Amino acid sequence: MIWWKKRGERLKDEIEAHIDIETQENIEAGMRPEEARHAAMKKFGNVVLARERSREIWGWLWGERLWQDIRYALRGLRRNPGFATVALLSLMLGIGASVALFSVVYGILIAPYPYAKPNEIWAPAVLGPNDPLRGWHRYTRREFLEIQKLPAFSNAMATEVHQVLMTGDTSTESFYGVFLTGGAFNFIGVKPLLGRTIQPYDIRAGGKPNPVVVLTYGLWRRQFNGDAHALGETLILDGVPHTVIGVMPSRFGWWTNEAFWLPMPMDLSDETPINAIMRLSPGIKKEVAEQQLNELNMHLAQVNPREFPKGQLHTVLLNYMDITQAGGPMKSSLNLLLAAVGLLLLIACVNVANLQLARMTSRSREIAMRMAIGAGRGRLVRQLLTESALLSVVGGALGVLFSFAVVQAIVVLIPSDNVPNEARITINGYVLLFSLAISMLTGIVFGLVPALRSSHPDLADALKDGGSGAGGSIRGQATRSGLVVVEIALSVILLTGASLAIRSFIDLLRTDPGFQPEKTLTMRLALQPDRYPTLEQRNAFDRAVLENIANLPGVQAAAIGNGGMPYSGWESSYTLEGQPRFDGRKVVLSLISSDYLRTLGIPLKRGRTFTSAEVENGMHLALINESAARLWPAGTDPTNRRMQVDALGQPLRSPVLLAPGIGPEVTIIGVIGDTKNDGLRDATLPAVYLPYTFVAPPDRQLAVRTFGEPLGILNAVRQKIHEMDKGLALGRPMTIDEMLGHETEQPRFNMAIFSGFAALGLTLAAIGIYCVISYNVTQRVHEIGVRMALGASRDDILKWVLRAALRVAAIGLFIGLCGSVALEKLVQFNVFGAANFDAVSSAAIIIVLFSVALLAGWLPARRAGKLDPVTSLRHEA
Amino acid sequence: MSTREPDNQSGLLQGTLDLLILQTVALGPVHGHAIARSIESRSREVLQVGHGSLYPALQRLIKDGLIAAEDGTSENNRKARFYRLTKKGHRRLFAETSRWHRLSEAIGRVLTPLAEESK
Repeated sequence: MIWWKKRGERLKDEIEAHIDIETQENIEAGMRPEEARHAAMKKFGNVVLARERSREIWGWLWGERLWQDIRYALRGLRRNPGFATVALLSLMLGIGASVALFSVVYGILIAPYPYAKPNEIWAPAVLGPNDPLRGWHRYTRREFLEIQKLPAFSNAMATEVHQVLMTGDTSTESFYGVFLTGGAFNFIGVKPLLGRTIQPYDIRAGGKPNPVVVLTYGLWRRQFNGDAHALGETLILDGVPHTVIGVMPSRFGWWTNEAFWLPMPMDLSDETPINAIMRLSPGIKKEVAEQQLNELNMHLAQVNPREFPKGQLHTVLLNYMDITQAGGPMKSSLNLLLAAVGLLLLIACVNVANLQLARMTSRSREIAMRMAIGAGRGRLVRQLLTESALLSVVGGALGVLFSFAVVQAIVVLIPSDNVPNEARITINGYVLLFSLAISMLTGIVFGLVPALRSSHPDLADALKDGGSGAGGSIRGQATRSGLVVVEIALSVILLTGASLAIRSFIDLLRTDPGFQPEKTLTMRLALQPDRYPTLEQRNAFDRAVLENIANLPGVQAAAIGNGGMPYSGWESSYTLEGQPRFDGRKVVLSLISSDYLRTLGIPLKRGRTFTSAEVENGMHLALINESAARLWPAGTDPTNRRMQVDALGQPLRSPVLLAPGIGPEVTIIGVIGDTKNDGLRDATLPAVYLPYTFVAPPDRQLAVRTFGEPLGILNAVRQKIHEMDKGLALGRPMTIDEMLGHETEQPRFNMAIFSGFAALGLTLAAIGIYCVISYNVTQRVHEIGVRMALGASRDDILKWVLRAALRVAAIGLFIGLCGSVALEKLVQFNVFGAANFDAVSSAAIIIVLFSVALLAGWLPARRAGKLDPVTSLRHEA
Repeated sequence: MSTREPDNQSGLLQGTLDLLILQTVALGPVHGHAIARSIESRSREVLQVGHGSLYPALQRLIKDGLIAAEDGTSENNRKARFYRLTKKGHRRLFAETSRWHRLSEAIGRVLTPLAEESK
C-alpha cells in the first residue's frame, strides 16, 4: 500500500507544481496573485478527478476503493450499532439454522449411505388384490436363487439376521449376526478397511459357508483394540471357530454397526424367509422388472402358497432409499423441518431487507448529497453493495459458527433408531458452499434493491425532504410494514407447527400404556442351544432363574414374557369356537409365566390368571386382552370358551422347540387389560397369552419388578444368573421406562426442534416489528411534536404508536392463521400424529404473538411518549 | 468506474493527445506544464489541452513504457517531474506519426471534392 500511496503523493505534488507554474505565469502576465491562482485552478479543472483518473490508470484504484468502501461501511456500522447487531443477528440465526438443518437433511436423507448408487437398489413387495402396501416381501433361499436368474436384474443379494452367541474366554455374548449371500459385498460396493469381504466362494457347493467373519468397525475396536493383527484371529461363534477375514470402515453398517457379517448358509430346504434386494439390468425399466418378478411370484405362490397373499398378485419394487430408516418417519419430519427452516431463512432475509430499506430511506439525503457533488451512480451502488455484502459475509460467518452449535444440539436430540447406521451428521463442504451462496445472495439481492432504488432519487426532492420530514415516505413505510406482516405470518405458521408438535408430544406422554412401566427391568436371557438341547432342560433352567430372581432382596416379582413385553409378539391366525372364521385376521401371541400380570402391573378384568402349576405343566389355557375379547360378539363372555390358535399347530424353526402334544386349541380362563402392543400411538392389537412352557426358544425375555431403583438390583441379578450358568449371555438390560422413552423420541425431537425454530422465528419477527416501529417513530418525531403541541397527551402518543404495532401484528396474524389452516389441509401435519390445529393452539399463538408485538412496540412507543414537543418540532433539519 | 464523460473540451480526437505528448516529449526532458504550453503554442493556440486530462494521459504513457519520468527543477526553481521519450516511445512516435499523416491525407482527400461541390 505504501508505494501506491507514494505514487499518489508524487502526483499531487506534481499537479500542485503545475498550478504554481501557471499561477506564476499569470502573475507575470499582470494578474493579481489570488486572481492568478484562481485562473490557474480554473484552467486545470477538477484536481481530484484528475488525480483519481491518473491513479485509475495504474489499476490500483479498485482495491483502494474497495478498501475505502469497506472502511466506510465499517464506520457506518459502528456508528449505528443497533442496525448492525440486529442485521447480523438475523443473518446469523437464519443462515445458521438453515446450514445446520441442511447438514442434517444431507446426512440422513440425501446421502445417508456409503453404498454404490443406493438409489438404484430395489426391494420387492407382493400385494394381494386389496392389500395396502405393507413392508417388503421376503423369500426363501430357493426362491431367492430363482430371482437371481431373472434377466431384469443384474444383481441380487439377500440378508438374514439372527442371534449368534460369541463365546469368549470368560463370558458369552449374544449378538445379532448378519448373514449375507456370497455376492452381497460386491452388490453393496464398499471396500473393507482391512483384509477382504465375503466373496461368492465363501459359500461352497452345497451351500455350506466357510467359517469366516467380517467385523464391524465397532466390534473390531472393542474386541481387538483396533489392531490390524485381528486379521486371521479366531472368534468362536455359535460354538464354531470363525476366522476374521476383514474389517469394514466405521461408516458402514449394513444391518448392524456393532456385530459382524457372516456368509449365509444356503441350505435350500431352509424355509426361513430372507430379505432380498436387487439392482436392475442396464436399460431395463422398473415396470418391466416388476412384471417379470410378478410372473415368478405367481409361479412361486403355486408351489408354496403359505407365504403369498391370496388371489391375483401384484408386485411392486420399492426403492431402498424410500423404505429404510432414511425414508421412515424421520423423512417426513425432516422434510417439514426443511420447509420450516426455509421459512426461517425467509424471515431472516425479510428482516435484513427491511433493515436495509429503512436505513437507505434514512440515508437518502446522504446519498442525494453524494450524487450532487459528483459521485457516479455506479460508484454509489458499488459502495452500498459493499456495505451489504460486508454485512452478509460477516453474518454468514457467524451463521456458520452458530450452525455448528445447532448441529450439535440436533445430534443430541435426534432419535437414533430413525437414523441409518451409516449416517454421519456433520457440517460438510457442500453445506458450507450452500451457506456461502445464501449469505452472498442475501447480501447482493437485498443490498442491490434498495441501492438501485436509492441511487436515482429525485435529488432536489430528497435534499428538500430532509429525509425525515413530516410527510415521511409513505410508500417506503408501506413496503416495510408489508414485510413485517409477511414475517409475522411466517412466524405464525412456524408457531402452528410447534404447537402441534408440542400437543402431540403431550398427548403421547399422557397415553396410558396399560401397564405400569416404572421400576421394571427387562433383559434377554440367551441360552446356548447346544448346551440346552431339549425343551425340558430349557424350561427347567428358566424356571429356576425365575425362582432365584424372585427371591432376591428388593425384587417384587419376576416373569418371563416372550413377546409379552411391550411392542413385541408373534402373529397367528385364529378361529373362535362357534364363530365364523375370517381369513387374514391375526392375533398377537405372547408366552408368559404365572407372575406376568403382577410383574408388569396389568389388571385382570375377568376370570382368573394362570397358576404356576398350569404354566409348568403347559396346560392348554390362555388369557386374552380386552381387544381380543371384543372379537366375540358384544355381550358374550369369552371366559371358558375355546379358540384355535393356528401358529401352535405349525412346526417351528430350529433352534426353537415346541412342547410335544401341543395343539392349536386353548381354553380362555381370563381377560386382562389392554396394553399398548403396537406402539404408543396405535390401537392395541388383540392378543392371546399362553404358558411359556409351550415353546422353548433359546433366548427369553425376562422382566423384573423391583421395590426400588430397577438398575440397582442389576448386579445381583447378573451374579445370580452367572452362578447358575457361566456360559449364559445376558442381553442389554433396559427399563421399561427406557423402552417407552424410545417411543417418545421422535415426537420429543419434533417438539424440541419445532419449538426451537418457532422461537427463532418469533425472535426475528419481534426484531422486525421493533425495527419498523422504532424507525417510524424516528421518522415522525416532527409529527409527534405537532400532535403534542395540539394537545395530545403522552398516553395518546403511546397508544398511537402501539396501535400501529398491533395493527401490523394483527394483519400478520390473520394471514398466518389462514396460511396455517391451508397448510394443514395441504400437508396434514401427519408427522405429528393425532393432534389437530384447534382453538386452544390458536389462542395460545395469538397470545404469544400479541405479547411479542406489544413488547417490540413498547420500547419505541415509550421513547415517543417521552419526546419533548419543543425539541421534536425543531427536529426537522 | 467513474461515470463522468472524459472531458473533451480541447476537442482532441481520442488518442491524439497521446501522440502530441509523445512528439513534445521527444524534443527533450520537459515537465507537465511545459508540455501543455508547448502543444498550445505550437498549434498556435488552436489545440487547447485540458490540463486536467494531461496527467492521466502521462500516467498512461508511463505505464505503457513509452515515456519515463524523473525529478528535476523547473526554470523558475520549482520542483517538478520531467518526462522524456523511451526507445519504445520513439518507435511508437514514428509509427503513429506516419499513421497520422496517412490518415489526415486520406481524410483530406475525402473531404476535398465535397468542399468543391458545396461552393
